[in-house]
Amino acid sequence: MTTQEPVIVIDNFHKSYGKVQAVKGISMRVEQGEIFGFLGPNGAGKTTTIRCMLDVIRPTSGTLRVLGLDAQRDKMELHKRVGYLPGDVRLPGQMTGKQVINYFSRLQGLEPVLLNDLVARFDVEVKRPIKGYSKGMRQKIGIVLAFMCDPDVLILDEPTAGLDPLLQKVFNEFLLEEQARGKTVFMSSHIMSDVEKVCHRVAVIRQGELVTVEEVEALREKAGQRVRVEFGDTVAPEELTRIPGVSMVSKSNSSYHFSVSGSMDPLIKALSRHEVVRLQAEEAPLEEVFLKFYEEPEKATTVAQ
Amino acid sequence: MATTTMAKSIPVPKKRAEALAVMVRTIINARTPLSIGIFYGVLFALLLAGLYPTISQANLGAYISSSLLSSLLGGHITNFSGFTVFLGIELYSAFYGLFFGGVLAWISGAALPNAIENGTLDLALSRPIARTRYYLESWLGVLICAAAIGLAIVFAVWIDTFLVKNAGINWQWLWITQLVQWAFMFFAAGLGMLFGSFINASRAASGITLGIIALGYLFNTLGGLSDQFKWLLKASPFYYAPAIDPLVFHQLTWWYPWVLVIAGLVCGIAGLVIFNLRDLPTT
Repeated sequence: MTTQEPVIVIDNFHKSYGKVQAVKGISMRVEQGEIFGFLGPNGAGKTTTIRCMLDVIRPTSGTLRVLGLDAQRDKMELHKRVGYLPGDVRLPGQMTGKQVINYFSRLQGLEPVLLNDLVARFDVEVKRPIKGYSKGMRQKIGIVLAFMCDPDVLILDEPTAGLDPLLQKVFNEFLLEEQARGKTVFMSSHIMSDVEKVCHRVAVIRQGELVTVEEVEALREKAGQRVRVEFGDTVAPEELTRIPGVSMVSKSNSSYHFSVSGSMDPLIKALSRHEVVRLQAEEAPLEEVFLKFYEEPEKATTVAQ
Repeated sequence: MATTTMAKSIPVPKKRAEALAVMVRTIINARTPLSIGIFYGVLFALLLAGLYPTISQANLGAYISSSLLSSLLGGHITNFSGFTVFLGIELYSAFYGLFFGGVLAWISGAALPNAIENGTLDLALSRPIARTRYYLESWLGVLICAAAIGLAIVFAVWIDTFLVKNAGINWQWLWITQLVQWAFMFFAAGLGMLFGSFINASRAASGITLGIIALGYLFNTLGGLSDQFKWLLKASPFYYAPAIDPLVFHQLTWWYPWVLVIAGLVCGIAGLVIFNLRDLPTT
């Protein structure tokens, strides 16, 4: 890999199943040491993209490169350095957790150097047969399998699915530690709060097309602030909608609710002309922005703009 | 976004021997049909030794040499005497080929789909294991199961020699007979690997393989029953595994087992090509 090349490069990637186009020409880059969120509604093409990166399925056209290696041609070399967590962790019921770990570490051809740390951190049950495991317990084994041999790149398909909130927190902290060690993480998720906490950038895919690739901070700025103002005098709603950056104005009794993106200065100056009884401002949840991207393409474009 | 930094001292992972892990896992996954094959192989052989003094006194010649039973057994026995004849009927006739071939069809058909069903295929192929290697190790695991069943049968026959007076077994021909049976199992293994390479459900892949083996048995039986259907004989894999002949009559058309070996090889290689080309399903 050349020093300039990003860790993950996806170029014009298409995948069709017969007449159904699952992924329609997406392109993106993930840099070294980045935690990259890959979001989208069910059936958007997230898992298809991830499985193509691992050569479990083959692209119809386009290229997928990880660590400078072609996902298909150089897969043997690539797989030595990649940790993978599938979306639905299913394991042979008759095997114990320990046997599963032993089997996959043999297939990896490496000692599981992080095993003890992971087992202790996530409180992983390894002695009982898998058939007695809950979804969360299997997910924990899946996390161990992905990280145990200390890979350079982690490809995780909904890593916190099935974990309780406490373990989700532990996992997020662990992910940030791994990032601090220079690991690159590509993860799909439906849990927006997790994405917000750990991801540096996110890509949103919808119906096989890439809707946006943005920094989480930039999205947060776009989401702006939610403001509630209670006036002592009469204010027409049009007066508020004319203020730059103000949108989604709604009224209840003498209070107005609206969103403000960008600087608050024009709003403050406009409000100073009236009697303001109460003013509340808070950051808009990023979840709303993500959900907008999940909706109709026209709406998503509006939000992006 | 919060960031945490933590000083960690993590050693570089040492290399670890892969040690044919997929092959071992294939054998472990096949433990139920494998146990059944071994158990019944040994049981038939030992039961025969126990019953031989009684059934050798019975006048079964006319019954065994009838065209119907000859067709079912896949060999026409006229000279009906001695332990070896019973052994040939009981362990190496077409009927028992159907049983042991069926066991192999079950094991081989399920070898790959099992890994899809239990979710390990995705995880295994995301490791530095080529699909070709995964397939070949699975196939090897199936063949080791076949070898284990055959060796258990031969071992039980050896035990029989202590239980039956004057068993009169010609060991050279017994091994040749066993090789013929193994050739048949090799064919069943290749056929199962072929269906397992593109069918995602283990029961479906095993069922279809077993169905084809059963159809072959039907061809062999019908072909032996009537001249009108004689052409069916050569379309049946059982025709090329006349295991009674070498054991009882000490004769074998040398190229017959090779037909099975080559057919098994062709099926197995076709399965390998398909497995390498296809998109693997989600778990």
